[in-house]
Amino acid sequence: MRKPPQRYWDDVSEGDELAPVAFPLTVFRLVLAAGATRDMSPMHHNTEIARAAGAPDIFANAIFLMGMWERTVREFIGLAGTIRRIDDFRMRGLNSAGDVVDVQGTVVRKWLEDDAGLVEIEVRSKNRDVVTVGPGRVTVTIPRRDSTNEKPAA
Amino acid sequence: MDWRTRWQPLVDAVGTTADADGLAGADAVEHGGIRRFLEALEFDCPLHYDAETARAHGYLDVVAPVTSLMMFAIPALWCPGDDPIFAAPDRDALPPRTNGAPKTGVEPDVIGHVGTELELEFLAPVPVGSHLVRTPRQLVGCTLKETRLGRGAFTKWEMEIRDERDVTVARVRFGMYLYEPVGNDA
Repeated sequence: MRKPPQRYWDDVSEGDELAPVAFPLTVFRLVLAAGATRDMSPMHHNTEIARAAGAPDIFANAIFLMGMWERTVREFIGLAGTIRRIDDFRMRGLNSAGDVVDVQGTVVRKWLEDDAGLVEIEVRSKNRDVVTVGPGRVTVTIPRRDSTNEKPAA
Repeated sequence: MDWRTRWQPLVDAVGTTADADGLAGADAVEHGGIRRFLEALEFDCPLHYDAETARAHGYLDVVAPVTSLMMFAIPALWCPGDDPIFAAPDRDALPPRTNGAPKTGVEPDVIGHVGTELELEFLAPVPVGSHLVRTPRQLVGCTLKETRLGRGAFTKWEMEIRDERDVTVARVRFGMYLYEPVGNDA
């Protein structure tokens, strides 16, 4: 089990870069993801249908692509962080079998709201050096060193 | 018939909803579904598989990744008592619904659809054992456009995801381009 050190809001600065995460897209992985996310649109698992619809090959579905952003952001905010919003998740290009999706992020804003430490992260997915998703914004909370009231209300 | 004329009924349908039936997620939020979601992403976060860690961070139990909530609100393709959905032997035959694009019933029957945008607001953690439903997906925008993929409509939709207590756990706004592929339309 992986329990990375917790990052604190106090230590985050605008301009901080998230550790990028690469997601190689094999046919196997795309089919696995289509089944796991239950988005069984044939564009995500049937090459013939994807090509008939004008795509180069089967391509990653939206839930899978969003999951890539969540993993990348979670590895930055730690287990005590929470994800509040995702905005401008714009899918500009297809991420197809044989591609590698690189998810990158940059802290663009930090502020306090009701004593909670908020951070806005600009996130983008790049594929062959072209942005295919985003750049969008993920709004998160990251615990403050002196705060005790930021646990989620489950 | 001009392609714009074929798509006009969808423009006129702005304000209506799609898929009024089958709104409940097929499965409860459970460890197996979360595990399969994490597996495809190689996403190692113990909040999503270790109850002790999740509780130590203020959750009731293991919680679903926020980006999996839409998945847990996808209805079943087939349920006991339903008519068969795999009736044709053709290699590429599809069931009546594939959990892809919303259908209002007035749009042309097309195979082309790609997601274009998403906005999500997460309002509450979703622990294992939750049962999610989605509200009917409301068509809030429709713009006809020809692209390199084909001719069709950029559509915008809104829905909420609620738990078994009818508490809204997420609000979703998404876009989808529905199109007749190049060469397939008259």
